Amino acid sequence: MADGAALTVDEVVAGYGGVLALQGVSLDARPATITAVLGANGAGKTTLLTTISGFVRPRQGRITLDGTDLTRRRPEEIARAGLAHVPEGQGVIAELTVEENLRLGALWRHGRTGRAEALADAYQRFPLLATARGRSASTLSGGERQILVIARALMARPRVLLLDEPSLGLAPKIVAQVMGLVRRLRDEAGLTVLLVEQNARSALAIADRGIVLNLGRVVAAEEAAVLAADVGLRKHYLGF
Amino acid sequence: MREFVQFTLGGIGFGMVYAAIALSLVLIWRGTRILNYAQGAMAMLTAYIAFTVIGHTGSYWAGFAAALAAGLVLGAVIERTVIRPVESKPPLNAVVVTIGLLVFLEGLAGIIYGGQYRSFPAAFSITGLHAGPVPLGISLNDVFVAGAVLAAAAGLAVLFRYTSAGLRLRATAFNAYAARLLGVRVGRMLTLGWALAGLIGALAGVLVSPATFLYPASMDSIFVLGFTAAVIGGLDSPAGAVAGGLILGVALNYVGGYLGSNLVPIFGLAALIVILMIRPSGLFSPSTGRQV
Repeated sequence: MADGAALTVDEVVAGYGGVLALQGVSLDARPATITAVLGANGAGKTTLLTTISGFVRPRQGRITLDGTDLTRRRPEEIARAGLAHVPEGQGVIAELTVEENLRLGALWRHGRTGRAEALADAYQRFPLLATARGRSASTLSGGERQILVIARALMARPRVLLLDEPSLGLAPKIVAQVMGLVRRLRDEAGLTVLLVEQNARSALAIADRGIVLNLGRVVAAEEAAVLAADVGLRKHYLGF
Repeated sequence: MREFVQFTLGGIGFGMVYAAIALSLVLIWRGTRILNYAQGAMAMLTAYIAFTVIGHTGSYWAGFAAALAAGLVLGAVIERTVIRPVESKPPLNAVVVTIGLLVFLEGLAGIIYGGQYRSFPAAFSITGLHAGPVPLGISLNDVFVAGAVLAAAAGLAVLFRYTSAGLRLRATAFNAYAARLLGVRVGRMLTLGWALAGLIGALAGVLVSPATFLYPASMDSIFVLGFTAAVIGGLDSPAGAVAGGLILGVALNYVGGYLGSNLVPIFGLAALIVILMIRPSGLFSPSTGRQV
């Protein structure tokens, strides 16, 4: 697996119509680290991820991956630069089978043997997907779908992974499994992760650093342990 | 009984042509949610190209190949030039563009080739086949028409189900957003979908022109019936398109045979209206609603 890359977001302004969901956001995700992006609903967390992955065009600012400028490139080209985005609660192609969803994730990245290896790897990591491989993805439960989109994103051996609310709708046991997996990918494969979570406590437990967004601005950027210990900040922005 | 068999077999040839047009419409509908009103005109233009090539080379098969290649290119070029700008716009924009394209292509054919009816050669003999002394109501060429369309449909099925390009095409058709997330170059897939539709449409044009003659508006009624076949099958279903074409071809041949051939166009249109009223998602489609 390739080494993680540094993702830099510099003074990005983005939004929909007249609403600016991001008003000059900067962050620096260092190679092989997990950066938690925290904040209340409407803080701009999801917009931040969709702007990085190219679905929302930034009006100002720059986004770079290891020095390569990704700003204003198409989503499919950004994916091919090694950035995988796992959106919240969607993204499974319900009309395809589980295996077709997985295969699709590896198409641009690998030749024939690489694809087979990536597939075997995914099945070994997520045995429930191996059991369901021939089934239509529409028959999966919400939790199973979440596992599928994460496994599918990993098929391309990304350097940077954007995870949007991976714990949403998952049983606690699966959440622990997913968080454990993210941590392992960082340690073993050097994956750089940007993790958006409502559940600040569990996100900070595995993150190296955290940033807190409020109404489209970064209000705090600290080591995860420092954020978790900052009672005032927690009460004010994170609600725990 | 003998008549019934003849009418049934005879309907299959035309039915397969409707099926090919329907298939090309379904390809475009699934990829871009656009109903291509110019599909018949594109087929007409490629048939003229075949006509010219056959005239110069004397080889039917050179013309046949030229038409298919021209269909592939024409589909791709049209998607890239006039369709791409309206893909993200309201559906009415695409309707206006494809109708405009229909008028343009028929006008262009009229300018280049003139308006007169031209006879178009058939690939094989058009004399009726017999089972012993009994005429079957079909010719060797009808068998070729049916076989060619079935082969094309089977080829598409293999492409979609077993190849990487097919997986990308399906992903784009079902969920372009997720396809993009996974690095699928969606724009290229849309171009490929239109190119394949152009190819299948060109096949229909070459296959039907011996029966209809070739003139700038020669594909208009074929297009309407192909559209009807697509609606019968459900615009989302390639297998439904083939089945819809067969059902329509055979049914209209009964109408023509038992009631009189002047009633065929009316019954074709009536079938379209009735299907749109009672089962707009088609007889074979699992989907529940759509906008046209």
